[in-house]
Amino acid sequence: MPTDAFPIRAIGLGKRYGSLTALADLNLEVGQGEAFGFLGPNGAGKTTTIRLLLGLLRPTTGEAVVMGKRVARSVAWRGEVGYLPGDVKFWPRLTGQETLDFLCGLSGRAALARSGLLKRLELGPAELARPVRTYSDGMRQKLGIVQALQCTPKLALLDEPTKGLDPLMQQAFYEIVTDMRRHGATVFLSSHVIAEVERVCERVAMLRAGKLVTVGTVVGLRQAERRRVVAHFREPVDLAALAHFGEVVVGTEQHLELLVAQAELPALVARLGMLPLVDLLVERPTLEEAFLERYR
Amino acid sequence: MSSVRVLLRQHVRLHRMPLIPLAAGLALFEWIMTFVARQPVVSKFLSSALNAAPPEFLALVNQDLVSSVSAQGIIGVGYAHPFALLMMAVVAVRVPSAALAGEIGRGTMDLVAARPVLRAAQVAAALLGVLAGLAILAAAAYAGTLVGLVVQPVEGVSALRYGLVAVQLWLTFACWGCVAIAISALSREAGQAIAWAAGLMAGSYVLDYASRVWTRLAPLRPLSLFRYYEPQRVVSAGISRLDVMVPAAVGAAALLLAFGVFARRDL
Repeated sequence: MPTDAFPIRAIGLGKRYGSLTALADLNLEVGQGEAFGFLGPNGAGKTTTIRLLLGLLRPTTGEAVVMGKRVARSVAWRGEVGYLPGDVKFWPRLTGQETLDFLCGLSGRAALARSGLLKRLELGPAELARPVRTYSDGMRQKLGIVQALQCTPKLALLDEPTKGLDPLMQQAFYEIVTDMRRHGATVFLSSHVIAEVERVCERVAMLRAGKLVTVGTVVGLRQAERRRVVAHFREPVDLAALAHFGEVVVGTEQHLELLVAQAELPALVARLGMLPLVDLLVERPTLEEAFLERYR
Repeated sequence: MSSVRVLLRQHVRLHRMPLIPLAAGLALFEWIMTFVARQPVVSKFLSSALNAAPPEFLALVNQDLVSSVSAQGIIGVGYAHPFALLMMAVVAVRVPSAALAGEIGRGTMDLVAARPVLRAAQVAAALLGVLAGLAILAAAAYAGTLVGLVVQPVEGVSALRYGLVAVQLWLTFACWGCVAIAISALSREAGQAIAWAAGLMAGSYVLDYASRVWTRLAPLRPLSLFRYYEPQRVVSAGISRLDVMVPAAVGAAALLLAFGVFARRDL
């Protein structure tokens, strides 16, 4: 793939604050038109990564290349990027309309998507005419989404985008992201809501304590994790004979829950077939379970 | 350049409301000074009061005894009076502190800096904002004097002389504005930037005053920026080259620091 095919490239990117390492040696590529999820617990380095990608922070090591441009060398590429901060703040005295106009003016691009976004997120002229200090948290978040996406960015960096949104507005946001991707935009989404990432993104990265734990497709990550096997028996069985297949989560004489590696599944199923089995359930882990498994 | 214009418009939007009462207050104050200067009873009262006043007080109003009791001197006092200086100081500190450190502290800097805006453009917009704000205040002060002297002329007093005083007032506080921009570029919160800039300004004012009262401190007087702002001298002899060069050099050095630091710092 040519370099331009990666709207985001982090090459050995790192940030230290004195003795604290906020991010260490991050190597990451996000492809054109991709929806990429960025997961990690609080303080893992997600926001630091986004701020490094935008040039708001100076890296201690490595460099970031965004929209094919070295972040530290120029600013013009930012015109093609929309950014929603994790804890979005506005100028309290400005109205919503003034806020959007000001930020659009700085972007240097026409706000072609603004009216559509306002309609979908149900922000009407009456709301936009009010000073932002009178907005609820949800309204502020909606205004944050509009300011980030109003100039039809080719790359959207969204930090906790659905924070404070009600389920209907969350749904509207997912539709907006789907539409953006249909038009070829790349979405980089940092979130604590794993179900949201699972729903919107096809690839994810997981961070822990400033280090990249894993990168892969959502499907791949789920496949790589252990399956949950639930078996019910007609009569008591010797569970000790099954325990070596994986980790026993729940075990009674007639009920067994195991976490089993994919490779062990055929042998386990064959063994279970020899027992008085009533019911058998094999589940792939959710992304949340995969996430928790990695952070245990 | 267009981003500087957009940012400047934002500064105007954020600061225009406080600027209106400040400018009106300053204009009114300078107009009142022309009214006071016309009253013979005031001159008489001031003459006897100043004769009795200790030199420390005379140093505070930055006037020599002879010039203060003249109509020309009384109007000049209006430009060195702590009220006028305070009005100017509010703008010189407020606009730069809100522009850089204030945006970082409020959390809105992320929205601005994530757009195709050079950091130098942000410093430049803050500079233009503070220079324009101070120009409005200095012009308002002069307008007060001008209206007072045109409506009721005072014999032997030319309104044109105070135009130069207003320019010198603007230059002095423009220099303080540049210092405040440098402090703001180094700070993370508006409050922190305001405290440092205001503290430095107050310290400079106290140093100027103290070095005029205590001869032992006199050698330190050139270190104060207020040493280069003497309305009385401007009225009688015009602006000296030193009074322009020193504030301009200090302002330029502060700006260089501001541009350099802000371009490299984490936001």
